[in-house]
Amino acid sequence: MITFNRETALQRSRLYTRTREHFTRKGYLEVETPILADGLIPEPTIEVFETAFSHPFKGTTARWLVPSPEVHMKQLLAAGSGSIFQISKCFRNSEQIGRYHNPEFSMLEWYTVEADYKDSIAHAEEYISAVAPRGTPEHLLPPFRVKTMHELWHTAVGLDLDELQTLEKLRKAASSLGAASSVVSSAAAEHAPETWESLFNRIFLTHIEPDIPQDKPLIITDYPARIECLAANKKGTPCKERWELYAGGIELANCYTEETDADRIEEVFRRESAAAALRSIRSGSAIPDLPQEFPEHFRSREHPFPPCSGTALGLDRLLLLFGGYTDLEGVILFPLSATM
Amino acid sequence: MIKAGQLEKGMALLIKGAPYVVVEREFVNPGKGSAFVRAKLKSPSTGQVLRETMKTQDSVEDITVEDHDCQYLYNDGESYHFMKTDNFDQFEIPLASFEDYQYLMKDGETYRITFWENKPLDIIIPFKVIYEVAEAEDAIKGDTVTGATKVVTTETGLKVRVPIFIKQGERILVNTETREYLERVNK
Repeated sequence: MITFNRETALQRSRLYTRTREHFTRKGYLEVETPILADGLIPEPTIEVFETAFSHPFKGTTARWLVPSPEVHMKQLLAAGSGSIFQISKCFRNSEQIGRYHNPEFSMLEWYTVEADYKDSIAHAEEYISAVAPRGTPEHLLPPFRVKTMHELWHTAVGLDLDELQTLEKLRKAASSLGAASSVVSSAAAEHAPETWESLFNRIFLTHIEPDIPQDKPLIITDYPARIECLAANKKGTPCKERWELYAGGIELANCYTEETDADRIEEVFRRESAAAALRSIRSGSAIPDLPQEFPEHFRSREHPFPPCSGTALGLDRLLLLFGGYTDLEGVILFPLSATM
Repeated sequence: MIKAGQLEKGMALLIKGAPYVVVEREFVNPGKGSAFVRAKLKSPSTGQVLRETMKTQDSVEDITVEDHDCQYLYNDGESYHFMKTDNFDQFEIPLASFEDYQYLMKDGETYRITFWENKPLDIIIPFKVIYEVAEAEDAIKGDTVTGATKVVTTETGLKVRVPIFIKQGERILVNTETREYLERVNK
């Protein structure tokens, strides 16, 4: 038996109403894209739910529950939709169910054409102000603090991230911090050698993220370009034009200036597909099909892909913060943990 | 060996030959990163706390521990004194290892204690415990703002923020992890 809390349902309903009002008023078009996809952007760190479509006469074909609506929303942008937003269900498999994770979750994703990641900071501030219920505590409200990843590393651990771009240098820095993880057995290390990205995350999660000040929301900008994603490179730096928003100590949103160069997108696809294949060999995880025509959307001469910035924000987490809950179970009427 | 993703609070690990107890663990999936588990590990002998971030697929060395019911006798300012209820063996645990537990444990009460190679590793405090309010100021008259609270002290010396209607001598249910008031307990 579930315990039905009317207030919880109302809080979500109000948030969605305000979200729609806000973006519609700003001239964004609300869209709905498939949850069941025939191909996904390769992301080797995300496990997906695999299913199949059975045609009565033509056999079955693989389908995937989307881990984010990015793959479809970008096709709409390519076709000339202009600025768009969506409230969408997303799915991530094989994640530990914790206070801030449920395998099925609700995401707000919006794309603003002719904008970059810096413009999106202001858009995110406007959005939070527009939807925050009366009495929302100051530490969740704008103005946001903005710091680069480089600044955070410098302040927290006294390291110059620009100087640590090779695995060797980062490894040395990690051992000086005692972050080489004394707990982990060396047998495990041989099985899956540490990558630059996982070492970066180890240091960030051990020494930097836990001490992020929580008196105001914080935007961390300029993530290392070595963390592969479809954000544009920041010219003349080893960084991507990408930020993440932390509020109340929780990672709430992720934003890019979107990569629009077809060659670079294909390159990301190639590298990420290879990494996904490697992971699949190790763990037996499923590899989603690639949306084959996807990079073609960025090559059209007639409809050049518009420069734009996209932001994804976790709505369940936002409800948790606004409502003062400590666990996603407080805001999801049917949390998966209740069925395990 | 177990995977770091299987870690639970209260489990014990061997790190460079010394036992550590998992006192906190949470799962973190950094944006565009693989899954990590962030744990706080505590050495029962020194009270030293390690912060470790492991990939959920990393292997870690767990150790087999056993639990015994033990009666908490008293603390002498330096150690907690316990007695195993099955064989009446008495033993001590340094206060420094579990400094804040002195406000959570009641003299004479039985607690489960985790042992490894006959050495106590961890004291398990129930998640919810009923305490008696030993000291409470009367609510200020006219203070009728909803949600108004005050701080009371339990018989163990624990300070808890409670609603203003709670009086001295009443019993309250407390979440021992967050030290937060849950509800008033009627006899």
